[in-house]
Formats: sequence, C-alpha cells, structure tokens
Amino acid sequence: MSNFWPILFIIAFFAWYLSYSATRLDRLHHRVETSWANLDGLLQKRAAIAIELAKSEVSDPASAMLLMASAHLAREANFRSRSSAESGLSAALGVFLESDSEFTGAIERELLNELRDLDEKIRMAIAMHVESVTRTRLVRRKLINRVFRLAGYAPEPVIYEFEADVL
Amino acid sequence: MALTKKRIGLVCPYGWDTPGGVQSHVNDLAQYLISAGHDVSVLAPTLSDENLPDFVVSAGRPISIPYNGAVARILFGPIAFARVRSWISQGDFDILHLHEPAIPSISLLACYAAEGPLVGTFHAAAKRQKVSFAVVPFLEPVIEKLTARIAVSEAARLTLTEHLETDAIVVPHGIYADRYRDGVAQSRWQGSTIGFMGRFEEPRKGLPILIAALPRIIANFPDTRIYIAGPGDVNGTLNEIAPILQERFQFLGRVSEAEKADFLSSVGVYVAPNTGGESFGIILAEALASGAKIVASNIPAFDSLLGKGAYGALFDSENSEDLAEKIISVFSNPVEAVQKSALGKEYAQAFDWKVVAEKIFDVYEMAMVGDRKVTLSSDARSWNRLLGRNS
Repeated sequence: MSNFWPILFIIAFFAWYLSYSATRLDRLHHRVETSWANLDGLLQKRAAIAIELAKSEVSDPASAMLLMASAHLAREANFRSRSSAESGLSAALGVFLESDSEFTGAIERELLNELRDLDEKIRMAIAMHVESVTRTRLVRRKLINRVFRLAGYAPEPVIYEFEADVL
Repeated sequence: MALTKKRIGLVCPYGWDTPGGVQSHVNDLAQYLISAGHDVSVLAPTLSDENLPDFVVSAGRPISIPYNGAVARILFGPIAFARVRSWISQGDFDILHLHEPAIPSISLLACYAAEGPLVGTFHAAAKRQKVSFAVVPFLEPVIEKLTARIAVSEAARLTLTEHLETDAIVVPHGIYADRYRDGVAQSRWQGSTIGFMGRFEEPRKGLPILIAALPRIIANFPDTRIYIAGPGDVNGTLNEIAPILQERFQFLGRVSEAEKADFLSSVGVYVAPNTGGESFGIILAEALASGAKIVASNIPAFDSLLGKGAYGALFDSENSEDLAEKIISVFSNPVEAVQKSALGKEYAQAFDWKVVAEKIFDVYEMAMVGDRKVTLSSDARSWNRLLGRNS
C-alpha cells in the first residue's frame, strides 16, 4: 500500500495536465475563430468598396468590369478559392489605384481614403490571423494533444496564402 | 474615433511614480483614450497613493530589481495577484491592454488571470539570454492568450520573434508632436553647443562616451559648450569630468515640455549616445519632431528611427572617435544637417498621438470582434464552476 499515494498523485497531476491542455487548445481555436471573423469582415468591406468604386463615375468600362467581376468572385468564393479570389481583387484594385491622381471628385476621394485605411487594417488582421493559426497548429502537433485527441472535432485551421502586401 | 464607449483596462508593470518610457506611454495613451470618451482604468504599482490621477488604481508598492541594464521597479507575488484578480473582476472591461507582459510583473499576472480580448504591447529590445530556454515553456501558454500583440519598434518585434517565436504588429510609441513642432530657437543655447537629454547618471545613456569625444571636438571648435537636461546627481557626475572641461558643462535639471522644444530646436547638435537597452527612443523621436540636428549611436532602435541616417547622423555605438567626427561634421557643415532635420521633423509627425492612438484603437477593435468581455479565466474552468468558486 505504500505506493498508493504517489501513484494517486501522479494520476491526479496527469488529469489536471490533460484538462489544462484541453483548455489551452480550446482557447487557441477560439482565437483563430476571432481573428478569422475579423479578417473576413474587413475583406467583405473591401469588396463592397470595390463594387462601389466600380459603379462610380471614375472608372472606365474596362476597369469597372474587372473590379466588379473580381469583387463578386471574392465575395462568393468558397473556403478553398478564397485566397486566390482575394489576391485577384487586390490586383484589380492595384491597377485601379495606379492612376489615383486623376480622381478629383469628393466622393471618389472619400472612397479611396477609406480603401487605404482598410488596407492598413487588413494587413494587421492578416498578421494576427497568421500568428494565431501557426500557434494553434504548433500546439495541436504536441504529442499529448494528438494521443488524447484533445482538439476534439475542431477542424485544423488553415493558412491562407495571402499576398504579403494586399494592395 | 469610436461610436461606442468602451471600458478599457491598462496594466503598467513599472512603478507609476518613477519616470520612464513605458509609464509615460501608458499615461499619455490613457489620457488620449479618456478624451476620446472611453472609460479607462490603469493598474500600476505605486510608491504612494497621493497625487495619483483618478484613473490609476494602485496594485501595491513596487520592488526594485535590476533588469535589462537598469533598475526596474516592478511588483509580483500573491498579494499583487489577488489585487490583479479583483481589479479584473470588478472592472468589467471590454478589453485589457497589458504592457510588457513577458517580464515577471503584474502584466504577466493579469495575462495569466484574464480571459477574453487581451492586447499586449512589448517595449523591450534585448539580446537573447540563456535564461529564456528555461523560462519560455512557462511563458508561452500565458503569452499565447493575447489576442493581438503590438511591438513598439522593429527591434522589439525581433526580440519577440527570437524569444517567444510569435509575431507582432509594429505600432510606435506616441509623442505629442505638435507640442515640439513650434519650439523657438533661443540664442543662449545656440552656437557650437551640444545638447544631451535624459537620466545622465545611467551608463547606458552614454554620457561618458560623449565626454571622451570632447577633447577632439574642442580642438576644432574651441567654444564648444555642453547642455545637459534631465534629472540626476550633478556633482557626482561633474567629479568624473576632467577639471578643464567642467566649466563647459551646464546642467539644466528637469525641463518642462515647452522648454524642451525650445532647447531641442536651439542647440547646435543633439546627441543621443545610448549604448543599448533602448527599444524605441521617445526622447529621440521628440528631438526629431522639434527639428533638432541629431547625432545618435547606431543601435537598432535609433537606426530605424533615423531612417538609416536620413534624418540625422549615426555614429558607431560606443566609439568616441567616430562620435567626435560626426559632431564636427555637423558643426562644419550645418546646411546638410538642417536639411536632414527638416525631413526628420516631417517624418516624426507619424509618431503623433493622433496617429498612434488611432492605430492602437484599431487593434483593440480587431481584438474585440467576438463581443466577449474580459473575465477571470478560472471562472471558465469546469471544476471551479462545480465547486462554486467565484472569487
């Protein structure tokens, strides 16, 4: 019976450690969800601005078509094609912004300024998202988490191949 | 700035009563957020409860500990932890902003105790130490709770990626650039004068390097004078200076912001010979904003702040010979120095609180997306709920 207490202690500690690891993983998955929701919201906003720009008077028919098409693609893209669709929209907006000095209308300037602010925010959101995803994947790969399936049914978070610079 | 009023909790790890970069950053940020209409509470260690601004809550008396080349006044321990927990649970915060959460302090305790939207700002830039191998396994699970991380400079970001292998968004320290913009040049400080600012007693601020450079400068410009602004022991420092040089020194003590602006825009050259431990360089940013002609050491923080030499001259850190050479070249070629300082003045507007605080608030908004509030993490543990522990 002399071995009883140490063994009990080890079992108790192990149980605590399992619960602690599970909490940690759960928190990390939650963080990924938050950062994705945030990034998704900003990207949607950008697509909306792109559509507005396409409809405004500054865009010639060709760039209006390009903007419209890529904005719609970005909004309707599914999980897998999202990344390439957003990159497409970035490129379309980039082409549009190159001739930026020609826009003089107040509304257009407003839209462009909004777009610039948004670009800054998207950059930050991407950094936050990539960080949370890599951290979560790192912790998921730990032996104890894999053996005891502590991640449960939470899907493995995926990294989107966003371009380093959005616009 | 914001459509809705938020409850924001800031945690400052260092003693509120002692001057320092982090403290003044937290103070300015808190005041900016309050003026934007938010509810702000700052938790910080304090020496005495007198004269505290009403948004500061004391976490107890700080302990002095040598850290990162200076004496840090920080606080930890069970009593502090209990205060941190009660501050979090009573605060009902929408967001918690922790400063320097990777050192043993109330910021780390708050990060451990809280759950929900957390933002951490990393100020320090330090070389990787052997200790971090032992410490990182404990730190990692705590630091990874932060929803968003901010580094105050590229140097601080590198420190973070090296030590803890996580990335951060760079948002610089804020200054009130408009208060430094309109400094009036005063003739008593003009000429071949050298300005120095900061706690001159601390070796890492680099005053001895400037003193060692003086003989060569004086050989070229015999009427060189040195003005030193900042708190410290004047007589002790004077005793270490060669007697023939002593009369060229003048100590101005602590100066007000308006005086600082005049001082910086008057002196022939402003010198920042810091040897390290500096992560952003608030005083240097202020010098930039006031349009001072600058010579600074090429430590990473200053190198990036001065745009690799575009806004001021850089000298090889801890090399007095090089420092003397750079100062002489500013004195003998003022036109180029003035051009650089004009560029720097323009550039420094990006550090104005209006810009910086907006960026920090953008990060807050991103962290708050889920609409969760900050809670104590122990409330979320199922066994504590079962046992009915609600402390």
